[in-house]
Amino acid sequence: MSTVVSKTVNFKLNGKDVSAPEGTVIIEAAKQHGVEVTNLCYNRKLKPFAACRTCMVEMKTDGKKELVYSCTQPVAEGIEVSTNTEETNRYNKANVEMLLVEHPLDCPICDKSGVCPLQDNTEALQLFDGRFEIQRRNEPSIKSNPIIEFYLNRCIICGLCVRACDEIQGVQALDFHKRGMKTTIGTANEEPLDCEFCGQCITVCPTGALLDMTSENRGLAALFTNTQSVCNYCSWGCTVKLETKKGKLIRIEADEGYDVGINEGNLCAKGRFGHGIEHNVERIKNPLLNHGGTFKEVSWEEAIKTIAERIQSTLNRSGPESLAGIGGEKLTNEENYLFQKLFRGYFGSNQVTNLANLRAPYVNRFMVDCFENGIHSKPVTELEKADVVLIFNSDLPSEYPVAGNSIRKGAVFTGTDILIANPRNVVFNNEAGVDIRMNYTFGADLAVANRLSRIMLDNKLVDKTKAKSAVPNFDEWEKSLAPYTADEAAKLTGLSDDILTRAAKRFAREADRFILIGNDILDTGQGEDILNALLNLSILVHAGGQGSVSIFPPREHCNSQGVNDMGCTPDYLPGYRSAKDSTALAALAKEWGLNSLSFGDDNPARELWDNCVNGNFKFLYIAGEDPVGSYYKGSQAKAALNATPFLVVQDVFMTETAKMADIVLPTVTFAEKEGTCTNMSRHVQKISPAIPPQGNSKTDLDIFFDLANALGKPFGYSSVQEIQEEIARTAAVYKGTFPGSRSKQWTPEDFESKPGFRICGPFAKPASKKDYTFKLLTNNHMFHIGNYSQYAKALVDVGPDCVAEINPKDAEGLNLESGDRIVIESESHKVEVPVNVSAVAARGMVYVPKNWAEVQVNLLRNGEEGLVSIKVAKA
Amino acid sequence: MPMETNDTAVEEEEEKEIDLALTREILDKLPAKSRRYLIPTLQKIQGIYRYLPEKAMQVVIDELQLTRAEIYGVISFYPPLLTTEPGKYIFKLCYGTACFVKGATIIAAKIHDEYHIRPGETDKSKLFTLQTASCLGNCGAAPMAIIGEDTHNTIDPEKTSELLACYRDRRDEEETAEVAAE
Repeated sequence: MSTVVSKTVNFKLNGKDVSAPEGTVIIEAAKQHGVEVTNLCYNRKLKPFAACRTCMVEMKTDGKKELVYSCTQPVAEGIEVSTNTEETNRYNKANVEMLLVEHPLDCPICDKSGVCPLQDNTEALQLFDGRFEIQRRNEPSIKSNPIIEFYLNRCIICGLCVRACDEIQGVQALDFHKRGMKTTIGTANEEPLDCEFCGQCITVCPTGALLDMTSENRGLAALFTNTQSVCNYCSWGCTVKLETKKGKLIRIEADEGYDVGINEGNLCAKGRFGHGIEHNVERIKNPLLNHGGTFKEVSWEEAIKTIAERIQSTLNRSGPESLAGIGGEKLTNEENYLFQKLFRGYFGSNQVTNLANLRAPYVNRFMVDCFENGIHSKPVTELEKADVVLIFNSDLPSEYPVAGNSIRKGAVFTGTDILIANPRNVVFNNEAGVDIRMNYTFGADLAVANRLSRIMLDNKLVDKTKAKSAVPNFDEWEKSLAPYTADEAAKLTGLSDDILTRAAKRFAREADRFILIGNDILDTGQGEDILNALLNLSILVHAGGQGSVSIFPPREHCNSQGVNDMGCTPDYLPGYRSAKDSTALAALAKEWGLNSLSFGDDNPARELWDNCVNGNFKFLYIAGEDPVGSYYKGSQAKAALNATPFLVVQDVFMTETAKMADIVLPTVTFAEKEGTCTNMSRHVQKISPAIPPQGNSKTDLDIFFDLANALGKPFGYSSVQEIQEEIARTAAVYKGTFPGSRSKQWTPEDFESKPGFRICGPFAKPASKKDYTFKLLTNNHMFHIGNYSQYAKALVDVGPDCVAEINPKDAEGLNLESGDRIVIESESHKVEVPVNVSAVAARGMVYVPKNWAEVQVNLLRNGEEGLVSIKVAKA
Repeated sequence: MPMETNDTAVEEEEEKEIDLALTREILDKLPAKSRRYLIPTLQKIQGIYRYLPEKAMQVVIDELQLTRAEIYGVISFYPPLLTTEPGKYIFKLCYGTACFVKGATIIAAKIHDEYHIRPGETDKSKLFTLQTASCLGNCGAAPMAIIGEDTHNTIDPEKTSELLACYRDRRDEEETAEVAAE
């Protein structure tokens, strides 16, 4: 909630006394009181526009009657509003009637049929015998891009798509063209649509003029079966509507209903068009047994028996700690919980981890630090009400696109200030009054964050005395900021101190603040210090400023948060209790019906790959991950898996990792399973199955059940709810969060209060290597994430190729033009890709998305931390 | 009256080299690099090149921070803004009420027969661009047209045909003279 509190006004609605916050438009206030006003162009996410002229209501001010458009007229004290009067209906009817002169009645083959505002309004206004002669347009459908079809005969020029594209998405790929009778919506000169393909235009279109071509069926969306679930791609956790027909997933839509999920009906390309993985011929069909390099299909019984026997023999021969597991960032909480329960409770091994934790174990500690400093962070549903948002090293439209939607809405309705700190000149168009870009020299993240803190102290932007009394090691921390003088910071970051000071002032003032951190910081090799610097910045405004601060750890996949919450890390048990905490272990043992639980002091899973190579691990179980393809040190993972005597992989597709397994188990996609996922801001949300498991695949949950049975100790749960109840008992933070259909953020109430700054190490410039003059940055592409999106046809259609990005000045030096191919070479590997010369790329840096199996950027890293040094040459 | 469609394929013109420095100069002279000045900017650019070349528009997009959809949305709203180079003479055929009832459409049909152009199009030899105008304010002399800078009153299809021939000859003469001068 914004720190500016708005007044409530009282008025009469159809004779009843009601109230609404000041500034609310009548149509919205009426809706909140259960009164629907006809309309075609109103959307609460967008600025009032009044294009359709069908929402007229009667308003009396001091007895004086006026007819007003309810989508633009705000409520006022004492007014009397009447809807659906004889007079307003006459006007509203006339306008809809005129639309129906042109609008085709091809409803049976229209995707909107049954969920169509034009249909609803026609019905509401009882417009069954129009006065005018029908004059239909008959223009051909425009299908010049692979995803969104324009069938403009149905268009009523309400402008919702144009406004959504502009205000919500900040892309402005659509606009009105020509004028008068000939007005159409579309791209410049009818060029093929080239945009972020978020598909918001399809959701907001009230008539089916814009259609989702990835949909397997045309028409009558109202007859599809809808299942509300949560997107399986990034960690933002958007609610999606899975639409099925006859047991087949037809398409994915957004749900614009009130109080649904965290995304208010916004989705990105991945969330909306990333289906096609569910009914895919390339899915693994049966359990596979590796016979000296060739895979043989086996029955589930045989596969599970083989694994159980191997577990037993490994336990007997090498002891419990020789078994290790990698939990899945795309598995549900319940699945991950059972996974670590198998390891801890059944095998007696604490060696369970996940790829994000292997890469950056400090991220969890950072989150716990926030809690211990009393920074609990608001739910992201409040993001649109933030006064200031700091986006730190994140390319939002690619990384958390829907976060961008909320921030843009905030910029319009709340007046949110937007501060963007990024070495890349990332695109983030918005309507914020204050939009400060801190485009720093790459590798200078730490200097930027620390300089911001120092400016706040030096310029007395916060109450230093208050902060000092609240945080014990204040002086030590302040001293550690000494090197970040204006001159030094300018030298390190390439930013003028004016810009940083402006940003610091906006951030320090009394405000509700949000900090979103990109996964790019993990690539710098200084991720821990950067997170600490941002933590310190938050502590400073939290302890010495007014308002609130919300900061979330960077997370990549849909359940990267949950896999850690569930204790798939050697350091933490479920709910972030230390794995060395004997009380917690005793409680867990009791819950699991064991006499006791205790683990050794060493946690070889912290250095999982090394310990595979050293032979310390004899058995490795990977649940739904592809470290060879996606771990940032791919070659290290590959060498480790090669050395592991027995490898079990369960996944949907035959990944590079699965190809190295001894046993591969076919699992299901998110559309086929039940459970919960937790997003990066700790919202626990429900995943519901829309289709049954395809073919012979099983859910990860069922596989773990089978395994427990085969080990002779069935879990004994009769439903997913029973697992959730157990989680709520063992992971205290999850108590009361398991959702019905609502999402709920878990609150960190049981954490100790231990305020303290985390002193950062000294600033270090990225190491340079002779001859390797460029640095590599890699992250997810706008249309791809993880190892499934490449199986979604629509996403491949719009994002077919891996294209590197290079700064124009660097390109000039190498004589490169967009479209040329380049060879990128590190000490360990070489890849060839086409290049795009773009001002988004920072100087001295080449950005390569990491989502193409044929461009294995993760192999360029030769074990080292930090930005990888590379050579670039024209191919 | 809907005109017959023009089936003659428009040949892709080779893109003409234009001097973008002139566009930059216009942009640099703006009081601020803001979209508020878009329309006067477009007018000035058209004043130089006689139309709005794609490359110049890209410069405007970059400088004023617009998207292609937005800028072409504005251009397509205003008929005087042209995205292709017009012919040497702009043939403004009055479609005002008086001219319309006295046969402007028949004249348009005649032009289409001879030059295969419809309103908004330019003939192959780049001599004429046909435009229609709502009213040119000379109703007493309907139907009438303005060709280049010259007003022609009370025209008919035959007269129009002769007029066009005159302009074609004039252009040919000028070109010959130019070649001779070189």
